[in-house]
Amino acid sequence: MNILNKVIGKIKKLIPAGFTLERKKKPQAAKAPGARPEIPSFQETVVADAKFSHPEPARPARFIQEELPYQYDQDKIVLQVRDPRWVHTYWELRNQTLGQLKSRLGDEFNRARKVLRVYDVTNIIFNGSNANSFFDIQINDFANSWYIDTGHPGCSLCVDLGLMLPDGRFITIVRSNVVQTPLEGPSWITDEEWMIPEDMFARLYGMGFGLGRSSPVGGAWQERIKQGLFSSGLSSSPVRKEVKERSFWMKVDCELIVYGATEPSAAVTVQGRAVNLRPDGTFTLRFWLPDGKQYIPVKATSSDKLEERTITPIVNRETR
Amino acid sequence: MEEDWLYEAITETYVPLISVFEGLVNDRIDFRLTMTLSPTLISMLGDPLLQERYLKHINKSIELAGREMERTSWQPEFRDLARMYFNKFSHSRDTFLKYNRNLTSAFKKFQDLGKLEIITCGATHGFFPLMDVCRASVRAQVKVAVNHYESVFGRKPGGIWLPECGYHPGHDEILKEAGIRFFFTDSHGVLHGSPRPKYGIFAPVYCKGTGVACFGRDLESSKQVWSSIEGYPGDYNYREFYRDIGFDLEYDYIRPYIHPDGVRINTGIKYYRITGPGNNKEPYIEHWAHDKAAAHAGNFMFNRQKQASYLNGLMGKPPIIVSPYDAELFGHWWYEGPMWLDFLFRKIACDQDEIRLITPSEYLRENPRNQVITPSLSSWGYKGYSEMWLQGSNDWIYRHLHMASQRMSELVKIFPHAESLRKRGLNQALRELLLAQSSDWGFILGTGTHTSYAVRRTKEHLLRFTRLYEELKSNSIDEGWLADIEYKDNIFSEIDYRVHQ
Repeated sequence: MNILNKVIGKIKKLIPAGFTLERKKKPQAAKAPGARPEIPSFQETVVADAKFSHPEPARPARFIQEELPYQYDQDKIVLQVRDPRWVHTYWELRNQTLGQLKSRLGDEFNRARKVLRVYDVTNIIFNGSNANSFFDIQINDFANSWYIDTGHPGCSLCVDLGLMLPDGRFITIVRSNVVQTPLEGPSWITDEEWMIPEDMFARLYGMGFGLGRSSPVGGAWQERIKQGLFSSGLSSSPVRKEVKERSFWMKVDCELIVYGATEPSAAVTVQGRAVNLRPDGTFTLRFWLPDGKQYIPVKATSSDKLEERTITPIVNRETR
Repeated sequence: MEEDWLYEAITETYVPLISVFEGLVNDRIDFRLTMTLSPTLISMLGDPLLQERYLKHINKSIELAGREMERTSWQPEFRDLARMYFNKFSHSRDTFLKYNRNLTSAFKKFQDLGKLEIITCGATHGFFPLMDVCRASVRAQVKVAVNHYESVFGRKPGGIWLPECGYHPGHDEILKEAGIRFFFTDSHGVLHGSPRPKYGIFAPVYCKGTGVACFGRDLESSKQVWSSIEGYPGDYNYREFYRDIGFDLEYDYIRPYIHPDGVRINTGIKYYRITGPGNNKEPYIEHWAHDKAAAHAGNFMFNRQKQASYLNGLMGKPPIIVSPYDAELFGHWWYEGPMWLDFLFRKIACDQDEIRLITPSEYLRENPRNQVITPSLSSWGYKGYSEMWLQGSNDWIYRHLHMASQRMSELVKIFPHAESLRKRGLNQALRELLLAQSSDWGFILGTGTHTSYAVRRTKEHLLRFTRLYEELKSNSIDEGWLADIEYKDNIFSEIDYRVHQ
């Protein structure tokens, strides 16, 4: 079996860390109503408070690093599973390591190509030479991470970062951890004690994905992927979003402000309802004004209840 | 940012859920519910400064609702809604004060009554599958969470909700070490496990080698609730989430109730029903929504009865149906969600005897014999694995996160019994590492909105960690600075750095 050998690793993305960090922010779509604006965090406010209320004694200024390092001065390659068919790897090499290789290999070094060698090590204890199969991916000098299409799910993988010399020899520089990709459908391994007929399992399997009662084994999963039946996580809503008919829009509404003043000790009602006066005897009310005619009797009664004034604005709103 | 989310969650989700539980207990309706309270949520709910601020916030909301009652007095259908919010906000404040400002004590009460099973989560919601190369960090996420849970609830958690339902084979060993007896995966975590699970997701399985139980999520019941196409929350009679007066009303009027820097945000007062697919929205009518929630609860129960009886025939034993939802779905996104839950629990208790509610611990006590398999790597995120947190926009963080994990383990090895200042430094280093590991940062970077915030938080915690690492190694801890970041990142006061190994 040498399936993996025939598969060429496909490049999906190649993003050196430094790049991503400094990349300009994509222009964002206009904020939908309900979108959360970006605002300072709670901690920031706390810090601000602390800064102003407890001035710290001046400390000698010292250099504080503001950026994460590009790398950490080690020889390292790490492999992680993204999904049943893709794994991700990132790596770094010390200049010293490359220098040693260069002095060892001389001119061959300059003509060598950097390569990721992807080994299928399913069901074996990998010793460097007993892989079930492998394939190579040629990478460029600037890459420090890669997405690898493994060709088929449910296998154990290990990756070497190395040099391919002009004569075809491969030299490993660093070796990754071993990962195992998940299956993309149900396992073929069954348990004697817990056997179930195939057709019954197919029914349970389909139901497990909420896709009815008979579904070919494995088919329900494909169906689920197609329908995108995944929880939306942190910030999306299960509530139907508004269908935007056209992007252009306008809305207009009307409010009415009724305000006035009287003796601070007087009692005031507007449309029969008591109103609180400010200490200086003024008051302001604000109403959402519907179409039609509004009578707004404003009545003030002196504190000794001997005098009374009523003023009634009449407002008509008409919308065309 | 987290602060506003917390306030919304308290008013819209946690208080309404507590009220539902209180009502059920008062009416002697038996119910069971399993709920995750993450260590970060419990910490925020218990933080005196945040409690003080929530009180201010809710008082403002009550004031706004009061002004709204006046402003809408010529439009009775809106005035009634303003009153509804006024009552809701006032009730929220009363409940908050009744439980001495710490709602965790309310949930604890229902757990102690045997109605609620509270489970834990990763300490800071790190996504475990992408921490597998440094399992010491997975262990720290689990142990810090378990210790925190124990200090709050006076017992160990029976189960855990793995952050984003992210399971990597082998992590059950860490759960076992921490005394956790069960966790959940998405459907394919169990269905694609090996050997093939005889009962699919309708019975839990034990993880091979550890015996920790794993419950698979049922998608049929999940879909009924959260599907954006056929789910209940999209019903036209339910409240429209996207029409908040924080965005709709005249700026000067609403200004005191939105974000202090003047950016319009949700106030929680929303007057319209979903109405239909278009932009035209009609006023919300409370009793229509009420009737719909009752009908949907009946429908949900009917479907579970049918599902259970069909499965019972197929399996030859009663199935368990696991239906997990985001807590904030209830009340926050789906305003009628808590009411729906209330109807559902009452109907299940009073109207039928085909199905019953059960917690995982109870199920395992009653059904101790289960199949042994190795569940599959899985999550409930986009496409079911790790892609949401591992793509072009966020994969750069792992190089740094893994390095920090490696360094943390190194520190634990160098200083197995640190005391005083050094111990403070080590504990703070672990806090910074845990905070950097929150899956939220990767998620936000993956979605592409608010990314600068996520970048800042990731870098900030990692840089603080790195400086602590260097100062610890060179024995030159800057105590003033340490005190400063202990104050800024003050989560998990009882943390013990030695759990990271």
